Amino acid sequence: MKLKLLPKFVLSLGVLGVALTVTISLFSYLSSKEYLEEMYAQRVISGSKSVAAMLDITDVRRILGPGGENSEEYRRVEAMLNTLKKDGDITYLSLVIPDEDSVTFYIDTCVQELGDDPANKLAYGTNVLYTEAAYDEIDLQKYYDVWDLYAENKGTDKPLVTDNSYGYNYTAVSPILDEKGEAIAEIQYILDMQKVRDHLNSFLYTMLGISCSIICIALLLYMMLVKWMVLNPVEKLSRFTTEIIQSGDFKKQEIVISTKDEIEDLGNSFNVMLKKLETYIENLTAVTAEKERIGTELNVATHIQSSMLPCIFPAFPDRNELDIYATMTPAKEVGGDFYDFFMVDKRHIAIVMADVSGKGVPAALFMVIGKTLIKDHTKPGRDLGEVFTEVNNILCESNDNGMFITAFEGVLDLVTGEFRYVNAGHEKPFIYRKGKGYEAYKIRPGFVLAGMENIRYKEQMIQLDIGDKVFQYTDGVTEAMNKDNQLYGMDRLHHILNQQCQTCGPEKTLELVKADIDAFAGDNNQSDDITMLCLEYTKKMEG
Amino acid sequence: MTINKKLEAAKLELLLEGRLDTTTSPMLEAELKQSIEGVTELVFDFEKLEYISSAGLRILLAAQKIMNKQGSMVVKNVNEIVAEVFEVTGFSDILTIE
Repeated sequence: MKLKLLPKFVLSLGVLGVALTVTISLFSYLSSKEYLEEMYAQRVISGSKSVAAMLDITDVRRILGPGGENSEEYRRVEAMLNTLKKDGDITYLSLVIPDEDSVTFYIDTCVQELGDDPANKLAYGTNVLYTEAAYDEIDLQKYYDVWDLYAENKGTDKPLVTDNSYGYNYTAVSPILDEKGEAIAEIQYILDMQKVRDHLNSFLYTMLGISCSIICIALLLYMMLVKWMVLNPVEKLSRFTTEIIQSGDFKKQEIVISTKDEIEDLGNSFNVMLKKLETYIENLTAVTAEKERIGTELNVATHIQSSMLPCIFPAFPDRNELDIYATMTPAKEVGGDFYDFFMVDKRHIAIVMADVSGKGVPAALFMVIGKTLIKDHTKPGRDLGEVFTEVNNILCESNDNGMFITAFEGVLDLVTGEFRYVNAGHEKPFIYRKGKGYEAYKIRPGFVLAGMENIRYKEQMIQLDIGDKVFQYTDGVTEAMNKDNQLYGMDRLHHILNQQCQTCGPEKTLELVKADIDAFAGDNNQSDDITMLCLEYTKKMEG
Repeated sequence: MTINKKLEAAKLELLLEGRLDTTTSPMLEAELKQSIEGVTELVFDFEKLEYISSAGLRILLAAQKIMNKQGSMVVKNVNEIVAEVFEVTGFSDILTIE
């Protein structure tokens, strides 16, 4: 549920306020109640005792005796008790004699000024059965308790509390003792507690009412304060940001908040951020434009590079003496690998496989130079060692960046099957011998091209027969890596060539090897160019 | 890749750990550019080097060229994979490998 800030503030504070009010009111109510009840308990007990003590024993005897109802003493004591009742605001005050199952009233006070109805006044000698008077079993037990106390010449120490249809009352009884300390009658002293209860209840309601009003007013004021001091500035900031986001216009926008507090700081920070964002976006736009330009150029470079490699197959549709296929899969946009093949003359085909150190545009540029030099220097009948020696020296002259090329070049005589080759630090080729399968062919390593001047390269020779194949590649093949940082390696290459490619032509062979590398590397990013070339000697050329 | 450098007077020893390839070789190039001046004895310890690519070879070649002029350079504790790269590329002919 999403709530705005103001309702959140109000809700939380409201809950707090209500909890506080209820707690305080209840506490005050309970402590007042306890205090008042204690006070009334004392009043009722001490009241009954005082009245009992006040009465003269001879008067009481006379009242209780025969004809006591019409005696002078009766009138005097009744008048006195009435006065006490009136002055002390006593609910019921009576002179009684309890028995084990009933109580007999001798004087029952009645003060009309207090609202007493003379019709309800119990006449002298009225006997009331406990079972008639009691409201319920518990009440009845109280009458018996009083009787028990009376039998022991005692009164109550604590008020008897009754709360029924007769009202909510505190009752105390005190015996009137004769000279021997025996009870001859007792004073029944009853206070109406309903007034106290009403008072307490109205106290509680008033308290709750006042507190609630105060809380409501405080909340209202607080809401206004929060709205003015916090919400308005925050809303302003929020509107401002929304506008900016919607319009996407960061320029020359500013927000002014002057609350002299954290929100003002926030607003200021926001302005600073906007300015920075503006500059940042300007820079980003420039950088992006530049990047796009470079990207376009790189794309062009990639295109130029790939178009420099012979890529139309079949390469020599009118020659049935050979079949050739080559591929390059660059790792970055522009790679450093290259292959080449061309007819040196009618009976000689040259193949080149090379890898320039490093990657990207510098490597590609160096590759172009290397490729052109090798092709230009390969002449019919010329020693390949000489070719590389000369190319190396030329490359060294214009190589300030310390780049170098590993390269392999071979020239096949289609008439004799003589395959002359030279190596400059490149991988060993695989040679397929009909009926024997592929083997990595150990050749002189030779030092890389452009590494150092005046290196002498030597040409070597191997005799190929009809159906033999040469497979050459770059380290992107053998060093393709899987997720566990394992290298593809010579063994896997050897395996796939012999398992699946023995009877395949060059195109199918490269396809199968590439598929095997891809399966091995999985999702792992290709880290180096993958370049392969396969040449098959299919038919002797007629001399 | 990490490079541990020990420089004692004119002797610089670099202990390489990890893979020296296109992405990591600029680190080594920068390190050499900064430290190689005045060094007469440069030692590469490849005990913990797992792999070297052509980009790494380029840095070694450049270092070798500089050290040809101002002293000597030695590569030691070369593992099998790296040794094979040196062998295949002919680098074993121009580097002093111990």
